[in-house]
Amino acid sequence: MRKVLGFAAALLLASNIAAFAFEPGNTECIAPANPGGGWDFTCRQVGKALQDLSIIPGTMQVTNLAGGGGGVAYAEVVNKRNEDLNLIVAASSATATRLAQGAYPGNDMTQVRWIGAVGADYGVIAVAKDSPVQTLPELLDMIKKDPTSVSVAGGSAVGGWDHLKVLLAAKKAGVEDVRSIKYVAFDGGGEAVTQLLAGSVQAFTGDASEAKGFVDSGDIRVISVLAPERLEGDFSSFPTAKEQGIDVIGANWRGFYAPGNMPDDAYNYWVESIGKVYDSKEWKDIMAANGLAPLNLRGTEFQAFVKDSVDSITELSKQIGILK
Amino acid sequence: METLQSLADGFAVALTFENLLLALLGCFLGTIIGALPGLGPSNGVAILIPLAFSLGLQPTPALILLTSVYYGAMYGGRISSILLNIPGDEPALMTTLDGYPMARAGKAGEALAISGIASFVGAFFATWGLVLLAPQLVKVALLFGPAEYFALFALAFATLGGVASRNQAKAAMAAALGLGIATIGVDGQTGVPRFTFGEVHLYDGIDFLVAIVGLFALSEVFIFLEHRASGDASTQKMEIGRITPPLSMLRETAPAMARSTIIGFIAGVLPGAGASLGSFVSYSFEKRLSDKKGTFGKGDPRGVAAPEAGNNAAAGGALVPMLALGVPGSGTTAVLLAMLLALNITPGPLLFQQQPDVVWGLIAALFIGNFMLLAMNLPLVSLFVRVLLVPTRYLMPAVAMISFVGIYGISGSTFDLMVMIVFGVLGWVLRKLDVPLVPVILGVLLGDQMEKNLRRTMTIHDGDWTKLFDSWLAIGLWTFAVVGFILPLIAGRYFRPKLADSNKVEGADPD
Amino acid sequence: MSDRILGIAAVALAALYIWRGTLIEPSFMSDPLGPKAFPFIIGAVLAIAGIAVAVRPDEEPVWPGAARLLEIAMAVAVMVAYAWVLRDIGFVASTSVAAAYLSWRLGSHPVAAIIAGIVIAVGIFVVFKLILGLSLATGPWGF
Repeated sequence: MRKVLGFAAALLLASNIAAFAFEPGNTECIAPANPGGGWDFTCRQVGKALQDLSIIPGTMQVTNLAGGGGGVAYAEVVNKRNEDLNLIVAASSATATRLAQGAYPGNDMTQVRWIGAVGADYGVIAVAKDSPVQTLPELLDMIKKDPTSVSVAGGSAVGGWDHLKVLLAAKKAGVEDVRSIKYVAFDGGGEAVTQLLAGSVQAFTGDASEAKGFVDSGDIRVISVLAPERLEGDFSSFPTAKEQGIDVIGANWRGFYAPGNMPDDAYNYWVESIGKVYDSKEWKDIMAANGLAPLNLRGTEFQAFVKDSVDSITELSKQIGILK
Repeated sequence: METLQSLADGFAVALTFENLLLALLGCFLGTIIGALPGLGPSNGVAILIPLAFSLGLQPTPALILLTSVYYGAMYGGRISSILLNIPGDEPALMTTLDGYPMARAGKAGEALAISGIASFVGAFFATWGLVLLAPQLVKVALLFGPAEYFALFALAFATLGGVASRNQAKAAMAAALGLGIATIGVDGQTGVPRFTFGEVHLYDGIDFLVAIVGLFALSEVFIFLEHRASGDASTQKMEIGRITPPLSMLRETAPAMARSTIIGFIAGVLPGAGASLGSFVSYSFEKRLSDKKGTFGKGDPRGVAAPEAGNNAAAGGALVPMLALGVPGSGTTAVLLAMLLALNITPGPLLFQQQPDVVWGLIAALFIGNFMLLAMNLPLVSLFVRVLLVPTRYLMPAVAMISFVGIYGISGSTFDLMVMIVFGVLGWVLRKLDVPLVPVILGVLLGDQMEKNLRRTMTIHDGDWTKLFDSWLAIGLWTFAVVGFILPLIAGRYFRPKLADSNKVEGADPD
Repeated sequence: MSDRILGIAAVALAALYIWRGTLIEPSFMSDPLGPKAFPFIIGAVLAIAGIAVAVRPDEEPVWPGAARLLEIAMAVAVMVAYAWVLRDIGFVASTSVAAAYLSWRLGSHPVAAIIAGIVIAVGIFVVFKLILGLSLATGPWGF
């Protein structure tokens, strides 16, 4: 532990001298939701890691700015805090989805600078353990034959990320009218899984971390993981969608953005700092504990990645009629 | 026997000096957080998570701290309900109905003491329920599909009439108002904004905390401003009364506590129903069952004991689905769940087998916290009631400012403050017109869940309405709902003349 | 009379609510019930309850005189102003002023009211900011 700290301190010293003119002051992380949610958690965990690794001076103030599914915080940053050098804001796939679907009125993704990702939660599609369905193509065939025979439960609203993952898969499998798929929105993955166990619905779409407890206990069977390769650990026995001939990847990433007018030296400082957190052993442990898979994207790479996801979600939303 | 052995092991883990100190700290902070309007158990726990981190606590001590805060806040909510007629948090809503009249009648100390004991009874037996029944209870939660949840909420609203008001039409109006407010915001099922007028701040809907603090706390300030000139007679200091309840009162309230504990616990076990529903159903059930003389709502100790036993039992019950399914049954357990994940503990069906030390340490912590709260709360009653000795000209400004901070500190939103002021004015007008505020809050709290479950049922069954009555459980709940709705209408026809007379004598001032 | 107005206002509100409800634009993908049905049900309940109240009103409440109404209106104005400037001048300063005003209007001597305002503001600051660690409005002076 001490070694890690010493190393980090040395790094910090070196980097301060060499690379950056920017000196962080009273740093702040905005969580665009009330305490307790995913964004709040991202802020607090990363803020704590930044402090523990002595990357920032003192503590990072976490401010909760709830509203509009993150839209209030987004507007606040764009309109009022566009010059703030000490500010980062938690974001995730949900942010990109809402930006793509125009749910932040008057704002788009180019108005802020995207810093980096700190991990991703890959999507899974699962059925109850006693379900006759064994593979993803089987499930999609059932939907093709009779869309009313299958209800899929997920933790996000209609048009939200959990829903889009199913639609993406169905589209790839050749379902003509993806809108006929019955999707039932619940408040979070946990409730959705419970209703799968209760027999109210036939399938579940969510993130790997949401399904973990029930996979371990054998109550549900994951029929596909929406990752480029098989996941490590408990999930390694589950096939990816790609293996089953349905080329879909669904990653719920977590990361940060910064105000749009942040100059390069401050921006680079934050990209480096979040990168250092990502590389630390502490963060690896947190990722493992929270079921996050690696997703190492920083700076311009991350900017491009967010742009890609916004574009593809826009495209899909138009095709299925959420967007006109 | 095995269970008791595990529990003993749990106590061995929990009973260290450090842990007891943490439990004491958590209980104390929790009680304060619960009593402050705007801050409730869920954001209280969330606020104190960083404290657990910065103290560098191991999983078990961290959980002891946070569950103490949780239980402490559940205890604390009643304090401002009774003393100020302002619910400290949403589950303490029902406690205002009889707690405040008791305080006005000079029985503040007794009300606080009896509700403290009721809280203890509810939480204590609910924790035993958690110990002995958790695996079986999970099966109960699985009986509830969307149709059954909808029937459950319908039951809550059907029995509303007559609970909170003398005029059923006004109670229905208030409930519809609350339900209407709940539909504001982006529709969770389709993502379409409703009644938002293009205002981004309304997309998440109106937080019930904003509604509760505005309707109760700010309107109280307006009431005092209104009455100041008309002589200080109505706003003068209240009598504190004795601070220990007489034995006869304990005997009188004991059956109410027992029944409410069971009802509250079951409501807590159901994810999405939670402590508010637990205290509400406990109160209305108790009123139906034992309000023979029409004393409920006018300072009946049973009307204080029932909701407090109910909501604290529900707090314990809510831990069942959280631990055994990883599904939070309430806002607070959602935060605790996030905390567990951060501590590398994955709640779920296997938690009891895989990490018994954590589970049993947690349960032992609940028992410890509960005893500590009882020991802390009874002697402190004399301290709490001193709030009433503060002249209102200092007390009310403090209440108003705490309300503002409670909302602003959580959401950081000026818009929310404006909405809260609107609710304050609305609350004042409704109180003048004798429209009850409790159904408004219940509507705001439960409306969203009620609608969602109706629509989930329709989605799953392709719009077939008969599927709402497709299981014995659903039919049973609907039967209770219909009986509960019709009975007071019939009874009212016979008893109304009598009641109206008695109201003229004692209930002239509804504030 | 007040209850008759209340009942009619409720019916009017219900009508307005249902009318706004019909304007909700359902998206392409919708569940069988859609986002409008539930508001319609609530609107109907509100209207029925409003009619019932208008037809069978309770006793007339005691409304305050104009002076008292003005008092309440002023308090509302101060609260709105408080919420408005909170972020610009910081928590302690704005809270002191607002609390002092309320305390004065509730019958304190002006000097006592000012002291009460400051004590309330600082007290809340200590509990919420320093003990609970919530972020209150910072303002130009950092408190």
